[in-house]
Amino acid sequence: MGPEVERELVRKCKAGDSRFYEPLVRAYEKPGLRLALGMLGNVEDARDALQGAFVKAFEAMARFDLRRPFGPWFFQILRNQCRDQLRSRKARFQLEVLDERLELRPADPETGPERRRERARARELLWEGLARIGEEHREILVLKELQGFRYGEIASILQIPEGTVASRLYHARRALREALQELGAELP
Amino acid sequence: MLDRVSHEELMRYLDGESTPDERDRVERALETSTELRRELTVFKSMKDDLQTLKLGAGDGNGRYSVWHAVSRQLSRPLAWVLIVVGSLAWAVHGIYVYLTAPIFLWEKLATSAIVIGILILFATVVWERYRASLTDPYRDIQR
Repeated sequence: MGPEVERELVRKCKAGDSRFYEPLVRAYEKPGLRLALGMLGNVEDARDALQGAFVKAFEAMARFDLRRPFGPWFFQILRNQCRDQLRSRKARFQLEVLDERLELRPADPETGPERRRERARARELLWEGLARIGEEHREILVLKELQGFRYGEIASILQIPEGTVASRLYHARRALREALQELGAELP
Repeated sequence: MLDRVSHEELMRYLDGESTPDERDRVERALETSTELRRELTVFKSMKDDLQTLKLGAGDGNGRYSVWHAVSRQLSRPLAWVLIVVGSLAWAVHGIYVYLTAPIFLWEKLATSAIVIGILILFATVVWERYRASLTDPYRDIQR
Protein backbone atom coordinates (compact mmCIF):
# COMPACT_ATOMS: atom_id res chain seq x y z
CA MET A 1 0.00 0.00 0.00
CA GLY A 2 1.43 3.38 -1.01
CA PRO A 3 1.76 6.21 1.51
CA GLU A 4 -0.84 8.33 -0.33
CA VAL A 5 -3.44 5.53 -0.26
CA GLU A 6 -2.63 4.88 3.39
CA ARG A 7 -3.04 8.57 4.27
CA GLU A 8 -6.38 8.67 2.48
CA LEU A 9 -7.61 5.59 4.34
CA VAL A 10 -6.50 7.08 7.65
CA ARG A 11 -8.27 10.34 6.77
CA LYS A 12 -11.54 8.43 6.19
CA CYS A 13 -11.07 6.49 9.43
CA LYS A 14 -10.48 9.75 11.31
CA ALA A 15 -13.92 10.76 10.13
CA GLY A 16 -15.21 7.65 11.95
CA ASP A 17 -15.89 5.43 8.95
CA SER A 18 -14.68 1.97 9.98
CA ARG A 19 -15.24 0.49 6.50
CA PHE A 20 -11.95 2.08 5.43
CA TYR A 21 -10.11 0.50 8.35
CA GLU A 22 -10.11 -3.02 6.89
CA PRO A 23 -7.27 -2.47 4.36
CA LEU A 24 -5.14 -0.91 7.11
CA VAL A 25 -5.80 -3.83 9.45
CA ARG A 26 -4.98 -6.34 6.75
CA ALA A 27 -1.78 -4.50 5.81
CA TYR A 28 -0.46 -4.31 9.36
CA GLU A 29 -1.74 -7.49 10.98
CA LYS A 30 1.08 -9.73 9.80
CA PRO A 31 3.99 -7.58 11.01
CA GLY A 32 1.87 -6.75 14.06
CA LEU A 33 1.41 -10.42 14.90
CA ARG A 34 5.15 -10.98 14.55
CA LEU A 35 5.88 -8.15 16.96
CA ALA A 36 3.26 -9.29 19.48
CA LEU A 37 4.40 -12.90 19.23
CA GLY A 38 7.99 -11.88 19.82
CA MET A 39 6.97 -9.90 22.88
CA LEU A 40 4.44 -12.32 24.35
CA GLY A 41 5.75 -15.70 23.18
CA ASN A 42 2.48 -17.35 22.24
CA VAL A 43 0.00 -16.92 19.44
CA GLU A 44 -3.16 -16.72 21.56
CA ASP A 45 -1.97 -13.75 23.62
CA ALA A 46 -0.39 -12.18 20.53
CA ARG A 47 -3.74 -12.25 18.71
CA ASP A 48 -5.52 -10.73 21.72
CA ALA A 49 -2.95 -7.93 21.89
CA LEU A 50 -3.15 -7.31 18.16
CA GLN A 51 -6.93 -7.13 18.21
CA GLY A 52 -6.90 -4.78 21.20
CA ALA A 53 -4.30 -2.56 19.58
CA PHE A 54 -6.30 -2.23 16.35
CA VAL A 55 -9.42 -1.25 18.33
CA LYS A 56 -7.45 1.27 20.41
CA ALA A 57 -5.79 2.70 17.30
CA PHE A 58 -9.18 3.27 15.65
CA GLU A 59 -10.56 4.89 18.79
CA ALA A 60 -7.51 7.16 19.01
CA MET A 61 -7.55 7.97 15.29
CA ALA A 62 -9.08 11.42 15.89
CA ARG A 63 -5.85 12.43 17.62
CA PHE A 64 -3.60 10.97 14.91
CA ASP A 65 -1.43 13.48 13.07
CA LEU A 66 -1.87 12.86 9.33
CA ARG A 67 1.64 14.10 8.59
CA ARG A 68 3.05 11.05 10.38
CA PRO A 69 3.11 7.53 8.91
CA PHE A 70 0.52 5.16 10.35
CA GLY A 71 2.88 2.18 10.86
CA PRO A 72 5.20 3.39 13.64
CA TRP A 73 2.23 4.97 15.44
CA PHE A 74 0.31 1.70 15.32
CA PHE A 75 3.31 -0.36 16.44
CA GLN A 76 3.73 2.02 19.37
CA ILE A 77 0.13 1.30 20.42
CA LEU A 78 0.68 -2.43 19.92
CA ARG A 79 3.88 -2.40 21.94
CA ASN A 80 2.06 -0.63 24.80
CA GLN A 81 -0.78 -3.14 24.54
CA CYS A 82 1.69 -6.05 24.82
CA ARG A 83 3.35 -4.43 27.83
CA ASP A 84 -0.03 -3.87 29.49
CA GLN A 85 -0.94 -7.49 28.86
CA LEU A 86 2.34 -8.69 30.30
CA ARG A 87 1.71 -6.64 33.43
CA SER A 88 -1.85 -7.77 33.85
CA ARG A 89 -2.80 -11.22 35.06
CA LYS A 90 -3.95 -12.12 31.59
CA ALA A 91 -0.62 -12.88 29.97
CA ARG A 92 3.03 -13.46 30.58
CA PHE A 93 5.83 -14.32 28.22
CA GLN A 94 4.85 -17.91 27.74
CA LEU A 95 6.67 -20.07 25.31
CA GLU A 96 4.81 -22.57 23.25
CA VAL A 97 5.91 -24.93 20.55
CA LEU A 98 6.20 -22.51 17.71
CA ASP A 99 8.24 -24.50 15.27
CA GLU A 100 5.38 -25.57 13.06
CA ARG A 101 4.43 -21.92 12.74
CA LEU A 102 7.96 -20.84 11.95
CA GLU A 103 9.83 -21.29 8.79
CA LEU A 104 13.42 -20.97 7.78
CA ARG A 105 14.37 -18.40 5.24
CA PRO A 106 13.30 -19.62 1.80
CA ALA A 107 16.88 -19.74 0.55
CA ASP A 108 18.00 -22.03 3.37
CA PRO A 109 19.71 -24.96 1.68
CA GLU A 110 19.96 -27.07 4.85
CA THR A 111 17.61 -29.88 4.16
CA GLY A 112 19.26 -32.88 5.86
CA PRO A 113 17.29 -34.27 8.83
CA GLU A 114 20.26 -33.99 11.20
CA ARG A 115 20.91 -30.39 10.23
CA ARG A 116 17.20 -29.58 10.45
CA ARG A 117 17.08 -30.99 13.99
CA GLU A 118 20.10 -28.90 14.94
CA ARG A 119 18.51 -25.77 13.52
CA ALA A 120 15.24 -26.53 15.31
CA ARG A 121 17.13 -26.95 18.58
CA ALA A 122 18.99 -23.67 17.95
CA ARG A 123 15.69 -21.87 17.37
CA GLU A 124 14.22 -23.39 20.51
CA LEU A 125 17.22 -22.15 22.49
CA LEU A 126 16.79 -18.70 21.00
CA TRP A 127 13.14 -18.55 22.11
CA GLU A 128 14.17 -19.73 25.55
CA GLY A 129 16.89 -17.09 25.60
CA LEU A 130 14.39 -14.42 24.59
CA ALA A 131 12.07 -15.59 27.36
CA ARG A 132 14.84 -15.17 29.91
CA ILE A 133 15.92 -11.64 29.08
CA GLY A 134 13.88 -8.67 30.30
CA GLU A 135 10.92 -7.21 28.50
CA GLU A 136 12.86 -4.11 27.45
CA HIS A 137 15.69 -6.15 25.93
CA ARG A 138 13.27 -8.48 24.20
CA GLU A 139 11.19 -5.79 22.56
CA ILE A 140 14.14 -4.01 20.97
CA LEU A 141 15.54 -7.30 19.61
CA VAL A 142 12.15 -8.22 18.20
CA LEU A 143 11.81 -4.83 16.53
CA LYS A 144 15.30 -5.04 15.04
CA GLU A 145 15.71 -8.70 14.10
CA LEU A 146 12.24 -10.12 13.66
CA GLN A 147 10.68 -6.97 12.23
CA GLY A 148 13.77 -5.61 10.51
CA PHE A 149 13.09 -1.98 11.47
CA ARG A 150 15.81 0.64 11.02
CA TYR A 151 17.08 2.60 14.03
CA GLY A 152 14.94 5.65 13.18
CA GLU A 153 11.77 3.57 13.10
CA ILE A 154 12.64 1.81 16.37
CA ALA A 155 13.29 5.19 18.01
CA SER A 156 9.91 6.41 16.89
CA ILE A 157 8.07 3.29 18.11
CA LEU A 158 9.82 3.20 21.48
CA GLN A 159 9.80 7.00 21.77
CA ILE A 160 13.48 7.20 22.58
CA PRO A 161 16.30 9.20 20.92
CA GLU A 162 17.84 7.47 17.90
CA GLY A 163 21.22 7.45 19.65
CA THR A 164 19.79 5.37 22.48
CA VAL A 165 18.69 2.59 20.12
CA ALA A 166 22.26 1.37 19.50
CA SER A 167 23.06 1.42 23.19
CA ARG A 168 19.89 -0.52 24.10
CA LEU A 169 20.58 -3.02 21.35
CA TYR A 170 24.07 -3.61 22.71
CA HIS A 171 22.77 -4.34 26.19
CA ALA A 172 19.97 -6.53 24.82
CA ARG A 173 22.40 -8.55 22.72
CA ARG A 174 24.73 -9.00 25.66
CA ALA A 175 21.82 -10.14 27.82
CA LEU A 176 20.77 -12.63 25.15
CA ARG A 177 24.34 -13.89 24.78
CA GLU A 178 24.54 -14.50 28.53
CA ALA A 179 21.15 -16.22 28.55
CA LEU A 180 22.21 -18.47 25.68
CA GLN A 181 25.46 -19.33 27.41
CA GLU A 182 23.53 -20.28 30.56
CA LEU A 183 21.32 -22.49 28.43
CA GLY A 184 24.41 -24.22 27.07
CA ALA A 185 24.14 -22.90 23.52
CA GLU A 186 27.29 -23.10 21.43
CA LEU A 187 28.33 -19.65 20.34
CA PRO A 188 31.23 -18.96 17.99
CA MET B 1 34.63 1.02 24.92
CA LEU B 2 36.31 -1.68 22.87
CA ASP B 3 39.63 -0.48 21.45
CA ARG B 4 38.41 3.06 20.77
CA VAL B 5 35.20 1.77 19.22
CA SER B 6 32.15 2.35 21.35
CA HIS B 7 29.43 -0.25 21.86
CA GLU B 8 27.05 1.97 19.92
CA GLU B 9 29.44 2.23 16.96
CA LEU B 10 29.84 -1.54 16.94
CA MET B 11 26.04 -1.99 16.91
CA ARG B 12 25.57 0.51 14.09
CA TYR B 13 28.29 -1.29 12.11
CA LEU B 14 26.66 -4.67 12.69
CA ASP B 15 23.25 -3.34 11.66
CA GLY B 16 24.49 -1.45 8.61
CA GLU B 17 23.64 1.95 10.09
CA SER B 18 27.18 3.41 10.27
CA THR B 19 28.32 6.51 8.45
CA PRO B 20 31.26 5.85 6.04
CA ASP B 21 33.73 7.41 8.52
CA GLU B 22 32.41 5.33 11.38
CA ARG B 23 32.56 2.18 9.26
CA ASP B 24 36.23 2.82 8.39
CA ARG B 25 37.06 3.40 12.05
CA VAL B 26 35.36 0.16 13.13
CA GLU B 27 37.06 -1.81 10.35
CA ARG B 28 40.46 -0.48 11.35
CA ALA B 29 39.79 -1.42 14.96
CA LEU B 30 38.64 -4.90 13.88
CA GLU B 31 41.97 -5.47 12.12
CA THR B 32 43.89 -4.92 15.33
CA SER B 33 41.60 -6.25 18.06
CA THR B 34 40.89 -9.95 18.49
CA GLU B 35 38.47 -9.21 21.32
CA LEU B 36 36.45 -6.88 19.11
CA ARG B 37 36.40 -9.42 16.26
CA ARG B 38 35.20 -12.13 18.63
CA GLU B 39 32.46 -9.92 20.03
CA LEU B 40 31.30 -8.97 16.54
CA THR B 41 31.30 -12.63 15.42
CA VAL B 42 29.10 -13.66 18.35
CA PHE B 43 26.65 -10.80 17.78
CA LYS B 44 26.58 -11.49 14.05
CA SER B 45 25.83 -15.16 14.66
CA MET B 46 22.98 -14.31 17.08
CA LYS B 47 21.62 -11.77 14.63
CA ASP B 48 21.57 -14.34 11.81
CA ASP B 49 19.88 -16.91 14.04
CA LEU B 50 17.28 -14.43 15.29
CA GLN B 51 16.40 -13.57 11.73
CA THR B 52 15.48 -17.19 11.08
CA LEU B 53 12.70 -16.84 13.67
CA LYS B 54 10.37 -15.42 11.12
CA LEU B 55 6.71 -16.28 11.05
CA GLY B 56 5.31 -18.11 8.10
CA ALA B 57 2.73 -16.35 5.94
CA GLY B 58 -0.16 -15.23 8.16
CA ASP B 59 0.52 -17.38 11.20
CA GLY B 60 1.41 -20.47 9.27
CA ASN B 61 -1.65 -20.89 7.11
CA GLY B 62 -2.27 -17.44 5.64
CA ARG B 63 -6.02 -17.57 6.39
CA TYR B 64 -6.26 -16.01 9.84
CA SER B 65 -7.26 -12.35 10.06
CA VAL B 66 -8.17 -10.27 13.10
CA TRP B 67 -10.31 -7.97 10.97
CA HIS B 68 -13.62 -9.68 11.73
CA ALA B 69 -13.03 -9.56 15.48
CA VAL B 70 -11.89 -5.93 15.25
CA SER B 71 -14.87 -5.01 13.11
CA ARG B 72 -17.26 -6.62 15.60
CA GLN B 73 -15.71 -4.65 18.45
CA LEU B 74 -15.88 -1.40 16.51
CA SER B 75 -19.52 -1.80 15.56
CA ARG B 76 -20.73 -3.00 19.00
CA PRO B 77 -20.75 0.40 20.78
CA LEU B 78 -22.83 1.90 17.96
CA ALA B 79 -25.27 -1.01 18.18
CA TRP B 80 -25.65 -0.51 21.94
CA VAL B 81 -26.23 3.23 21.52
CA LEU B 82 -28.95 2.55 18.94
CA ILE B 83 -30.63 -0.10 21.11
CA VAL B 84 -30.59 2.14 24.21
CA VAL B 85 -31.88 5.21 22.32
CA GLY B 86 -34.65 3.19 20.64
CA SER B 87 -35.65 1.49 23.91
CA LEU B 88 -35.78 4.81 25.76
CA ALA B 89 -37.97 6.34 23.06
CA TRP B 90 -40.39 3.39 23.26
CA ALA B 91 -40.36 3.46 27.08
CA VAL B 92 -41.24 7.18 27.20
CA HIS B 93 -43.97 6.73 24.62
CA GLY B 94 -45.32 3.64 26.47
CA ILE B 95 -45.44 5.48 29.80
CA TYR B 96 -47.27 8.40 28.18
CA VAL B 97 -49.83 6.08 26.53
CA TYR B 98 -50.24 4.12 29.77
CA LEU B 99 -50.78 7.22 31.92
CA THR B 100 -53.28 8.78 29.53
CA ALA B 101 -55.17 5.51 28.85
CA PRO B 102 -58.91 5.62 29.82
CA ILE B 103 -58.74 2.75 32.38
CA PHE B 104 -59.49 2.46 36.10
CA LEU B 105 -56.93 3.75 38.59
CA TRP B 106 -56.64 0.35 40.32
CA GLU B 107 -55.70 -1.24 36.96
CA LYS B 108 -52.92 1.31 36.52
CA LEU B 109 -51.67 0.78 40.08
CA ALA B 110 -51.70 -3.02 39.80
CA THR B 111 -49.87 -2.98 36.46
CA SER B 112 -47.36 -0.45 37.81
CA ALA B 113 -46.69 -2.65 40.84
CA ILE B 114 -45.97 -5.69 38.61
CA VAL B 115 -43.68 -3.72 36.30
CA ILE B 116 -41.80 -2.07 39.19
CA GLY B 117 -41.40 -5.45 40.92
CA ILE B 118 -39.92 -7.01 37.77
CA LEU B 119 -37.55 -4.06 37.34
CA ILE B 120 -36.38 -4.31 40.98
CA LEU B 121 -35.74 -8.07 40.58
CA PHE B 122 -33.81 -7.48 37.34
CA ALA B 123 -31.72 -4.67 38.88
CA THR B 124 -30.93 -6.82 41.94
CA VAL B 125 -29.74 -9.75 39.81
CA VAL B 126 -27.56 -7.46 37.66
CA TRP B 127 -26.07 -5.81 40.77
CA GLU B 128 -25.30 -9.19 42.38
CA ARG B 129 -23.67 -10.50 39.21
CA TYR B 130 -21.58 -7.33 38.98
CA ARG B 131 -20.46 -7.61 42.62
CA ALA B 132 -19.59 -11.30 42.14
CA SER B 133 -17.57 -10.58 38.99
CA LEU B 134 -15.30 -8.20 40.92
CA THR B 135 -14.07 -11.00 43.16
CA ASP B 136 -14.40 -13.96 40.78
CA PRO B 137 -10.97 -15.70 40.66
CA TYR B 138 -11.87 -17.33 37.33
CA ARG B 139 -13.04 -14.19 35.52
CA ASP B 140 -9.98 -14.12 33.20
CA ILE B 141 -10.39 -17.72 32.14
CA GLN B 142 -11.82 -17.91 28.65
CA ARG B 143 -14.89 -20.07 28.40
